[in-house]
Amino acid sequence: MNAGLEHFLTVGALLFGLGVFAVLTRRNAVGLLMGVELILNAANLNFAAFARYVEHGIDGQVLAAFVIVLAAAEAAVALAIVLAMFRNFGTVHVDAVDRLRR
Amino acid sequence: MSGDLAFYGFAALTVLSAFYVVFSRNIVHAGFSLLFTLFGVAGLYAMLAADFLAATQVIVYIGGVLVLILFTVMMTRIPRRGAGGRGLDRFVPAGVFALLLFALLYKVITGTPWAEKAPVSADPTTARLGASFLTDFVFPFEFVSLILLAAMIGAAILIRDRRPAADDGAGGAAAPTGEEERS
Amino acid sequence: MFETLALNAPSWSDLRHFVPETVLVVTFLLALMADLFARGRRPAGPFALALGGCLVALAAAVSSLPAGPRSILGDLVVVDGLAGFFRVLFPLIGAITILFSWASGEIMGPRREHKGEFYALVALMAFGMCVMASAADLIMLYLSVELVSLTSYVMAGYMRTSLRSTEASLKYVIFGSVSSGVMLYGLSLLFGLTGETTFVEIRAALLAGRADNFALLVAMVFVLAGLGYKIAAVPFHFWCPDVYEGAPTPVTALFSVGPKAAGFALMIRFFYTTLLSPGGGQAAAGAAAPDGVIVGPADWPLLIAILSVVTMTYGNLVALRQTNVKRLLAYSSIAHVGYLLMGFLMLTAAGLEAILFYLLVYAIMNLGAFLFVIALNNRLGGEEISDYAGLSTRAPWVALMMMVFLLSLTGLPPTAGFIGKMYLFAEVINRHWFWLAVVGALNSVVSLFYYMKIAKAMYFTPGERAPLRLEPLHTAVLILLAAPTLALGVYWTPFKNFVDRAVAGFAGLGG
Repeated sequence: MNAGLEHFLTVGALLFGLGVFAVLTRRNAVGLLMGVELILNAANLNFAAFARYVEHGIDGQVLAAFVIVLAAAEAAVALAIVLAMFRNFGTVHVDAVDRLRR
Repeated sequence: MSGDLAFYGFAALTVLSAFYVVFSRNIVHAGFSLLFTLFGVAGLYAMLAADFLAATQVIVYIGGVLVLILFTVMMTRIPRRGAGGRGLDRFVPAGVFALLLFALLYKVITGTPWAEKAPVSADPTTARLGASFLTDFVFPFEFVSLILLAAMIGAAILIRDRRPAADDGAGGAAAPTGEEERS
Repeated sequence: MFETLALNAPSWSDLRHFVPETVLVVTFLLALMADLFARGRRPAGPFALALGGCLVALAAAVSSLPAGPRSILGDLVVVDGLAGFFRVLFPLIGAITILFSWASGEIMGPRREHKGEFYALVALMAFGMCVMASAADLIMLYLSVELVSLTSYVMAGYMRTSLRSTEASLKYVIFGSVSSGVMLYGLSLLFGLTGETTFVEIRAALLAGRADNFALLVAMVFVLAGLGYKIAAVPFHFWCPDVYEGAPTPVTALFSVGPKAAGFALMIRFFYTTLLSPGGGQAAAGAAAPDGVIVGPADWPLLIAILSVVTMTYGNLVALRQTNVKRLLAYSSIAHVGYLLMGFLMLTAAGLEAILFYLLVYAIMNLGAFLFVIALNNRLGGEEISDYAGLSTRAPWVALMMMVFLLSLTGLPPTAGFIGKMYLFAEVINRHWFWLAVVGALNSVVSLFYYMKIAKAMYFTPGERAPLRLEPLHTAVLILLAAPTLALGVYWTPFKNFVDRAVAGFAGLGG
C-alpha cells in the first residue's frame, strides 16, 4: 500500500485518541499535559498532511508552524502553574487539589 | 518503495511511543517516550515536504517543550510514588470513549472524498514560508510575539519570588480575604 | 528564486482602522515598562497607564465606529459593525476591572506581588478579546483564543500563594488546553475539507459543495467544543464554577463578562460566516426563516437549541443549591449563556441585535454584582450568602444597589435586564420557537429563587448592626454601574440604535 493522505491522517487520529485517553486517565498534572501535547501534534500532523495533499492547501504549513510556537508558550504557562501547584500543595496529583466545593 | 518504508517506520515509532507515553506507569519514562513520539512526527513532517516544520519540531518541541516537561517532572517528583495510581474504573470508560472517538475519526478520514491534488515535487518550502511570515502573515507573526511575551511574564508572575520568603511571614497584616495561604 | 515569490505585505496604513487595538498593545508594553520603575506597594504608574490606555482605546473605538466591513492586515482581520461594537465593550470592561482591582485586597494586598504586571495583562487581554471579535481567518481565530486563554490562566492564579487561586488556574489550564487542542483538531479537519483558512473562502468552498456533510459536522462539533469552553456552555462548563470561585474576585468579574462576550463574538462571526450564506432573506421565506441560507448540515441550529436549553436549565438548577455567592454567580452566568444561545440560533439580524444588547446589559449588571462581592469581601473577608445578613441596615445604599443588579439579572422591570430579555424572547417567539421560549421563561422563574436568596439575606436576616463603610472607590464604581442598570430599563433607545447599527454593519449577514 502506498502511503498517502489517509495514512498520515490515520496516524493523526491515533495520536488524537491516545491524547484524549491520557487526558482522561492521567492524574499526574504533567502526564495530563503530555496528553495535550499529543492532541496538538495530531492536529498539526493533519495540517501538514493537508498542506501536501489537498488543493491549494499550502497555508497549512504556516498554521502548523504557529501552532508549534503556541504549544511552547502554552507549555511554559501550564508548567509554571504545575510548579506553583507543587509548591502550594506538595503534589502534582490533580485529585489531591480539591479545596473548592463541588 | 523506500518512501513507504520510511513512512511506516516513522508512523510506527510515533504511535508505539505514544502508546507508551499514555500507558507507562512511570512519569519519567512517559516523558522520555514522548521524545520519540515528537521525533517520529518530525520525520513524518519531513516526508510531507515540510522541512521547516520538521526542523522547528526538533528545535522548539523537542529542544524546548520537552525539556521543560522533563524539568518539571524532575522538580516535582515525590520519592514515594511514581505516576500515581490509576484504577481500572477510570481506564475502561476512558478507553471506550477514546476508541469510539478514533473510530469516528477513522470513518471521517476514510469516508470523505478529500479534494486531493496530484502530489507535486517535494521542493523545500522554507523560503516560501519565510516570505509568507513577513508578507501575508506578518500580523499573526507579530501577534505570536505578543503571546510569547505574555507567556514569559505569566510564568514569572506564577513562579518568581520577588522578595525573599522571610518577610512574607505572618507579620504582614494581610487583607481579610479569608484565604488559606501557603506560609 | 525569490523573484517568484509574490511579496504583497499588508500595508501599515491598515493600522488606521485598527487604532483601539493598537492603543491597547502600546498600553500593555508601556505599563510593563512603567512597572520596572514602580516603587512601593501600590504601582500607580502601571495602574494609571493601563486605565488611561483602556479609556483612550474606548474613546478611539467610539469615535471611529466602522461603517461597513473592511478586511485588513492581509484579510486576516475584518473590521465591521460587529467588531466595532465589541471594541467598545472590551476596553470598557478592562477599564472597570482595573478600577475596582485598585481597591481590592485580593489584588493589592500586602502579600501580593507583580501588581504592575497584573494591570498590564488586563490591557493585553482586552486586546486579545478585540482581535477575537474581528478574526476572519482560522489562524487569527486560534491565536486570539490562545492569547486570551494564556492571560486568563495567569490571572486566575495571580494569588499564587493562595491554594484556591492555584487550584483555579490549574483547572483552567487543564480544561482550557484540552478544549483548545480539540478545537484545533476540528479546525484542521475543516481546513482539509475546504483547503482554505479564511472564513469567507471556507464558505465559498462549502457552497461549491467541496465538503462532505458528515465530516463537516464532526469538524464543527470539535470547533464548538473550543468555543463552548470559552463561553462556558454545558457540557464544556466543568472548569467554570471552580475557576470563578477560586480566582481573585476582580478576575472572576472580568472572566464572567469578557472572555464570554469575546467567545460569543467569535462564535457569531465564525458560524454566521462559514455556515450561513446571506441572501435568503425574510421577504422570501416568511417570518419563521432565518435571514440567510444555511450551508452544510441543515440541523445545526437545532443542535444549538438543545445546547441552549441544557445550559440554562443546568446553570439555574445547580445555582439553587449554592451558598457561596461567587459560585452562585458562576452558575448563573452559565444560565445566561443559555439565554444568549437562544438568540444565536435564530440566525437573524434581530436575534443578533438582541444578543449584543443583552451582552452589553449583562456586562454592566454582572460586573456590578461581582463588584458588590469584591467590596464586601474587602470588609467582611468572605463571600458566603450568610455574610450578607442584615446588610440593609449596615449599608442600606449598597444593599439597594445590589438589589438593582439582582433584579436586572433576574430580568424584572424596571431594569436593563428586563429590556434585554424582552428583545431576546420577542425574537424567539417571532421565529416560532415557542417551546424554546417556554423553557427560557420557566428558567427565568427558577433564577428568581436563588437571586432572591441573596436579597433575603440582606433584607430579612438579622445580622450585625454596626454600619459598614466601603472603599470610596468601590462605592463610586458601584454607582457608576447601578445607574445605567436602572436607566437602561427606562430609556434604552440610544443603546438599541447603537446595537442595530453594529449589526447592520456586520459582514456575516451581508451588511
